[in-house]
Amino acid sequence: MRAILSMTAAALLLTGLPARAEDVERTAPADPRGQVEIVTASGEIHVRGWDRPEVKVTASISSSEQLRVDSSDQHTSIRVVRSNGGPTHGATDLIVNVPRTSALTVSTISADQTIEDVRGAQRLQAVSGSVTTQVWSEELQVKTISGDIEIRGNKDSSEVSIQTTSGDITLADTAGDLTLETVTGDMDVSMKELSRGRIHTTNGDLHLRTRLAGDARLDAEAINGDLRFILRKPVEAEFDVETFNGAIDNCFGPKSVRTREFAPGNALRFKEGSGGARVRVKTLNGGVEICKE
Amino acid sequence: MSDQHNESARDPLDQALASLSRDVQPSRDLWAGISAEISASSPVTSSPRHSVTSSRSWLQLAASVVLIVASSITTYVVVHRSMQEQVLQAQQSATQQLQQAPVLPAMPASFGGQEAMGAGYVQARAALDKEFQQRIATLPPVTRAKLERDLADLRRAAADISATLARHPSDPLLQELLLSTYQSELGMLGSVTDMTNATETRL
Repeated sequence: MRAILSMTAAALLLTGLPARAEDVERTAPADPRGQVEIVTASGEIHVRGWDRPEVKVTASISSSEQLRVDSSDQHTSIRVVRSNGGPTHGATDLIVNVPRTSALTVSTISADQTIEDVRGAQRLQAVSGSVTTQVWSEELQVKTISGDIEIRGNKDSSEVSIQTTSGDITLADTAGDLTLETVTGDMDVSMKELSRGRIHTTNGDLHLRTRLAGDARLDAEAINGDLRFILRKPVEAEFDVETFNGAIDNCFGPKSVRTREFAPGNALRFKEGSGGARVRVKTLNGGVEICKE
Repeated sequence: MSDQHNESARDPLDQALASLSRDVQPSRDLWAGISAEISASSPVTSSPRHSVTSSRSWLQLAASVVLIVASSITTYVVVHRSMQEQVLQAQQSATQQLQQAPVLPAMPASFGGQEAMGAGYVQARAALDKEFQQRIATLPPVTRAKLERDLADLRRAAADISATLARHPSDPLLQELLLSTYQSELGMLGSVTDMTNATETRL
């Protein structure tokens, strides 16, 4: 009986517990404007841009996993794969240095991503994990499922696209084009200037603080989420706001009017200044607030 | 002026016209029949007919857009899956886990309770939903719970809008919001499937 218990305990130790972590370091030459792709599950990823034409990976990896670094002329691939093809038990932490102007693609499951000083285009996907990054003048695309997103810009104009289900979004000091889509996550956005904006939320709230470009186009839609716009001067825009059940609060003066005699519904249409920009807002139950800073 | 009048008075044709009676009395009273016809046809007015026609056209357009989105996502997922041999192994594993996982009910999609969405849309949605269930079964329990809650929120929102639309069938704002909510649901189903597939197959 004791022997059986001992064997069972040993089997559990082999299969159910994290294997011992080992530190691994790999270096590969990389084109300064090449593409770096990182794929892993479980753990943390920290990517930093640097001046060298090479990729360096430092990993704390369990014995049940393998680190693979493949490099060609323009493409460097970094993967943490399971040695036995089964589910991973360990959590692999990666620190990756890449050429600063690299294009970066990161796909993770149950891993948090932190990216610093990578100035090429970024495509970041996280299933159950957060994403923290900086954006410069290149395109940034972030998708998460159940993970918060934090993005800091450098006031350069860029194209930012963010899609999440339940993660919160914090975006600061960016400019240019913005696409936001969320189901329940809240959005706190501060931009230097907005040129094109498309925002859709089901239950998440939006707080957007920005100046509108002269020919800006902003479309925002919410089902139950509240939408709050704080606009920096000068404001030269036409506003078209419509809600079914939500309240409309307008700091610019004009009041909303009822759109239906025997049903709920409010609309607010007005022009501020020359009206070169266009702001279009639609909600079902969400409230709308438009104010100037 | 008086010369002209005198000349017309001398014209034989004018004289003949002047001899005709100015009123012709009907042989019987016709108003009772006319009134009855008007009463019989009064429920049909041009305004509601225009509204129904407009709503139908809008519905057809909306259904087409949703179908295109659903078909695109489904096609992408199917093609993507067929290209990745390793996904089959993951699916078999996911299917086994799915049998033990709680089932999230997919409410029937309708447009304001008036018309159910087309068969193509329903099939595409069901395929995406099945794939979604298989994929989330492979995710950590906390993540799976959040996704199920988010999907339930989306479907609840769609059901609420649809019910409201049933009371206000010609409201363009409700129509637009319902369409975009259905698109969000399809987008979420496709996005979760795509992201988990893409990452799993690269590992």
